[in-house]
Amino acid sequence: MNKSGLIIRLAVVVVFTAICAGVVITQLFNRITYLNELALSEQKIQQLHNTVFATASIATYLQDEELIQEVINGLNSNDIVQNAQIYTDWDTDHTITKPANSTVFALYSPFEVTRKVGALIITPNVEHIKERAEQIGRDNTIVLALQASIVSFITLIVAYFVITKPILRIGHGLHHIEPGNRDRVKLPEYHTESELGLLVSDINSLLDKAEQQIEQERALRSEVELLEKRFRMLFENSTAPIVLMEPKGNILLYNNAFLGLVNKLNIPFKKNFGSYLKHLFLDEKLLDNTVQAAFNNDETATGEFKLHSNNSDITVWVQAVITSTVTNDYKEYYQVTLHDISKRKQQLEILDHKANYDQLTQLFNRHAAEIKIQGFIDKRQPFALLLLDLNDFKPINDIYGHDAGDEILIHVTGQLTASLRKQDILSRWGGDEFVILLPNVTPDIVDKIAIKLYDKASKSYFLKEHDKSVGVTLSIGVSFFPDDKETLHTLVKGADQAMYEIKRNKVTHPEIYIKHYANLSHKLI
Amino acid sequence: MKTLYAILILFSFLAGSYAYANDQLVVVVNKNNPIEKMNKSEVIDLFMGKYVAFPNGEKATPVEMEGENLTKQAFYEQLVGMSLSRINAYWSRIRFSGRTRSSIQQNNEDDLMVYINNTESAIGYIPRSKVTDDVKVVFELNE
Repeated sequence: MNKSGLIIRLAVVVVFTAICAGVVITQLFNRITYLNELALSEQKIQQLHNTVFATASIATYLQDEELIQEVINGLNSNDIVQNAQIYTDWDTDHTITKPANSTVFALYSPFEVTRKVGALIITPNVEHIKERAEQIGRDNTIVLALQASIVSFITLIVAYFVITKPILRIGHGLHHIEPGNRDRVKLPEYHTESELGLLVSDINSLLDKAEQQIEQERALRSEVELLEKRFRMLFENSTAPIVLMEPKGNILLYNNAFLGLVNKLNIPFKKNFGSYLKHLFLDEKLLDNTVQAAFNNDETATGEFKLHSNNSDITVWVQAVITSTVTNDYKEYYQVTLHDISKRKQQLEILDHKANYDQLTQLFNRHAAEIKIQGFIDKRQPFALLLLDLNDFKPINDIYGHDAGDEILIHVTGQLTASLRKQDILSRWGGDEFVILLPNVTPDIVDKIAIKLYDKASKSYFLKEHDKSVGVTLSIGVSFFPDDKETLHTLVKGADQAMYEIKRNKVTHPEIYIKHYANLSHKLI
Repeated sequence: MKTLYAILILFSFLAGSYAYANDQLVVVVNKNNPIEKMNKSEVIDLFMGKYVAFPNGEKATPVEMEGENLTKQAFYEQLVGMSLSRINAYWSRIRFSGRTRSSIQQNNEDDLMVYINNTESAIGYIPRSKVTDDVKVVFELNE
């Protein structure tokens, strides 16, 4: 049983109170009983006096010793009388001191009411009275103790069955109840209207409220969970890699798309790729600048960047969207979203290639070549411009068809490419015409290169389809920048004039294949 | 009822005292007795058996008429305020301790007077009208 349990406490209080009250009441009662007994004894002595008064008066009046003795014996036979005495010569100023507690009754002559004839002195038996009082007190104590015991016992029993047991039952019931489900505390029997009943109904209404709240919270939570699931789905299934990180670059959240991207780049996954993933970017500097510029203006940073790749086959371009987010508790996060724009970039590159390269020979086309040449002119870099024309190409084209012509053109292109230096630019100017830019060359070197070109291009080519060996020769015109001409147009025109001269003279001088515009001009002059 | 009793008692008094309407009771002794005067207590002490001697130590012999008569009745009534029946009860009570009525009983008034005349220690009571030179009045009872 619980040491500080209600019933134990109640028992302690009840028993303690019973004992204390019992002791006090007993003491009080004993005292009162004693005083009552004393008063009663006085009364009894008075009554005794009344009883013997007449006889005593006569005996004293007559001073009859026998009669006096009779009276005294009669009085002494009472247990409350300790001693009775009759003085025949007693007077108010008598010198004999009366014994303590004793009562003095004056005795008068039976015939003359004013004539005092003696005194009757009765000393009560105080010991006896005390004893009697004590006996009564003892009996009373026993009765009181018995009564207190019975009342205490009944009180405790009733308290146990009416209060403690129902409370224990309520507590037991409450102990097994989980807030939020349908269980309720059972109302103890016969307590519908009592405080305990009130307590139970209060507890139950509290449980009702709790259940309601928990139900609401549950619904709310499932709503949130659903929302979170959707967000997660959105995040996880996003084709664009999304990463949430701390400003220092520690990755907090990333989706599968990001993992896929890293795998694709053949880069080992790390928890930190630098602030806004900058280690993944090829041009970190550009990224830094872009992001800083945007963040300084409280804007979202966006830009197209090429990523690092350990896989040489793959080039990845992304449009990066970098957002700085500050939460309610003043924590800053960066969100980086990457959109793969490699395909678009590739298409653009293809378009660019198509615009600048000749489909057949994969050489720069005229448009690209013009831009390159103009670039040199703009930078005032000296160069030699060679215009090449294939002799005897048209007959081959006519006799063996365009496919054969194409084959020859590809063959010549290969031969020409093999003869040039790395810095030289070869382009197909159109039809069977080629333009070559040779930076920083003297006329002598140009001649040497021209011989090499001529020799290589002149090698005969075997047409498999036609089982026939064919060959072409070159006519080459040269103009120098800035010595001969200053503009693209005039340079080309000059080279063209020189070449035309070769074509014209070839009939008489079959070995001549190159003509410098300077010589031509000179000649023209 | 009480009033009725009171009236009856009053009538009986009037009737009883009729003969002595002007006749006061006196206590008398033998003329040779040296006692001249007695007080009421001394008379009571002699007649109620306390003492058997006069205050001077001489033997005293109370004398009265036998039975119940008006004089006796009046005497005790006037002396101690008691009826005869109570006086008799008093004597009966003290008889147990060996005391007896000390007075000499005479048959009539004349015998009483003779006894007092002849006995020196005698003391008795008579109406004043019956007082002779042979007796000495020592106490006068008041009505």
